[in-house]
Amino acid sequence: MGGGVAVLGAGGFVGSRLLERAVHAGRRDIVPVVRGLRSVGRAANLGVSYRLGDASRPDSLKPALAGCDAVVNLTTGDPGDIVRTTESIYSAALAAGARVLIHLSSASVYGPVERPNLPDDAPPWLGHWMPYARQKGRAENFLRQRMADPRLAIVVLRPGLIWGPGSPWVLGPATDLLRGAAYLVDSGNGICNLMYVDNLLRSIDAVLAHAAAPSGFYHVGDDETRTWSDYYIALAAGLGADIAKIHAVPGDRFRAGPRDRIEELKALPMYRQLKDRLPIAARAAMKLRVVRALGGDRAAVTANGNAVVTRELWHLQTTRYPLPTGKFRATFGHRNTVSFRSGVAASLAWLRFIGVCEPETPGKAAQADSGALAVGRGA
Amino acid sequence: MTQPPAARADIAIIGCGAAAEGLYRDALKRLQSRGIARVSALVDPNPARTAALARHFPSARIFATPAEAFANITPVLTIVASPPSLHAQHALDALAAGSHVLCEKPMAVRAEEAERMVTAARLARRVLAVGMTRRMYPSIVQTQALLAEGALGDRLRFAYREGRVYDWPVSSDAAFRRATAGGGVLMDIGSHVLDFLGALFGPPTGGSYADDARADGVEANCRLELACPDASGVVQLSWNQPLVTSFTIAGSAGELTLDPGRIDALRLRRDGGTWETRMCVTTWPSDLEPRGRCGLPRSHPDCIYYQLVQVLRAAVHGEPVPVDGEKGLAVIRTIESFYERATSLRLPWLTAAEQSEADVHHWSQQRWAAA
Repeated sequence: MGGGVAVLGAGGFVGSRLLERAVHAGRRDIVPVVRGLRSVGRAANLGVSYRLGDASRPDSLKPALAGCDAVVNLTTGDPGDIVRTTESIYSAALAAGARVLIHLSSASVYGPVERPNLPDDAPPWLGHWMPYARQKGRAENFLRQRMADPRLAIVVLRPGLIWGPGSPWVLGPATDLLRGAAYLVDSGNGICNLMYVDNLLRSIDAVLAHAAAPSGFYHVGDDETRTWSDYYIALAAGLGADIAKIHAVPGDRFRAGPRDRIEELKALPMYRQLKDRLPIAARAAMKLRVVRALGGDRAAVTANGNAVVTRELWHLQTTRYPLPTGKFRATFGHRNTVSFRSGVAASLAWLRFIGVCEPETPGKAAQADSGALAVGRGA
Repeated sequence: MTQPPAARADIAIIGCGAAAEGLYRDALKRLQSRGIARVSALVDPNPARTAALARHFPSARIFATPAEAFANITPVLTIVASPPSLHAQHALDALAAGSHVLCEKPMAVRAEEAERMVTAARLARRVLAVGMTRRMYPSIVQTQALLAEGALGDRLRFAYREGRVYDWPVSSDAAFRRATAGGGVLMDIGSHVLDFLGALFGPPTGGSYADDARADGVEANCRLELACPDASGVVQLSWNQPLVTSFTIAGSAGELTLDPGRIDALRLRRDGGTWETRMCVTTWPSDLEPRGRCGLPRSHPDCIYYQLVQVLRAAVHGEPVPVDGEKGLAVIRTIESFYERATSLRLPWLTAAEQSEADVHHWSQQRWAAA
């Protein structure tokens, strides 16, 4: 790792953990690049320097990548921007003279994994119903066409569900389990292709450490194969949630629910135009009305709720096979360090920290707090 | 006999960035459209910012500095919405020019600055209010009333938690540097929280404090244990974690919960009985008439409007403001006292090695080393 490592999307879930981990490891080569200064707030405690750069504009990115020989693209955001952003980052990385571009894609480009031993360079399914997966697939194809160019190695990582502290794939299931809204499709027998966030970051480290990273597509994932049932039961046990309250959903076909229809509406350009035009006060009032109409006030979190089956989760839970990750291990000599069990423990500790489980009643508060402070002082 | 309506009040805004745009703009337009006040001056060294705001207040004059502004106009009220490190100087400039002041929170980044502001306001006989908008929340006002009547009994304990990923559209990194912001999430959200906890339970008299700031950073997470005259409890705040926002108070005779995202209701149960939801109907004056109309705030932006009206009423009629400079100063002193006893916060997602490293590089270690 000679020059700097530019991290685009450093304000996001994976990016902020990458930054945090790097700072605690004493690394000085990480160059976080963010579009707006608001992203700095997420890591304000670390006191690191940032560079500003708009990932959708190569002219803006080029100075931000100066002096970096590796670029890590962890950007998220609107699906409609994914391809443009990928093109822009590629151009800027090339112009900056970087040796490697690590692009975080997603196993969702396939839809559910429907066959064993899926090749790492299998083409994405561009007819995917989910805009995010469709656009991720198009971005991959853009990069695929440029992998033969020797000037810049392009390593596309395809993780499954990135989980761990801070992940929506922990917070969502945990919240659903506690409010009685969790469900398992087909008894939870589907394969849950998990990638613990720190394991993913070690994968990125392995690519960065490789002197001549070969361009290509690589599946990455945790070592253990787990089912959705394994995952939910492990979380439920730690949360004290009753697994008997997990709803059973048939796996024969998906039946669209209200949330999917709302998401479809929100994806319409007209919705975004209308949203942008409304004053903040009107938006806040409308949102409040919708939340109340849907019964989404905080008091409902601990009450029994009905499962709202979403198309995305239904499809994920019907995944039949694990992602084969042998190519990445063979190429980069990578080893994961976080097991399923320790990942669950860390995730539960995070859920307690943010107050999802063991709600901090005033009576319990003093005990919990003095414990936290004592550890902080003593360490 | 009804007094004649007050004259339309001229308002100056110092600092035309995110706070002015995001918090005050709509409320000021509402005041202006009702003929209550008029934005007469926009002050900011960045012409792009003043130009953006001027689109909504076309009759306002534009100035680059407070000195230029006050050489030309004398507003009834000056809203100080500049970066916190400039609050003191800008408020002092406005008070010296004879204007009343509504200063955004935090009132200042150091207690000595806040003290100078309070003294200047007293000597100038001008109102110095601090924008602690949550004091306008009907739920907070009703909680105060319930506690005053002893609805929860004694031995009160509270737990407050608020956090989300930081998304304020800042235009500089001043909010993330100790020299310019004074601190991080405690200074930001904590200003509000310590203010209304002080109003509910009395000013904190002691406690402990832990945060996650390194030597070059400001805290993104913090945790306080507070001892107040009428209660004790914990506060957890975050700029980067989606904390389950909640406020719970429990006493010998009952419990009460507030959802800080909902300003017009609270939930109460007495003696272990069933929870009841109470709608809060606290109203605030909505104009400057001596016995004018009142309204019920239904959202945070509503509260900003009513806060502005109340500050103008203080200027025009001598009525009290929800949070004056003395109360704002008390909050800054409390924050400073907690910073002085800061320890490293345990973040459960860190590995043991990372936590040890964080402890070693905690900003308090640097302070002790310097001392």
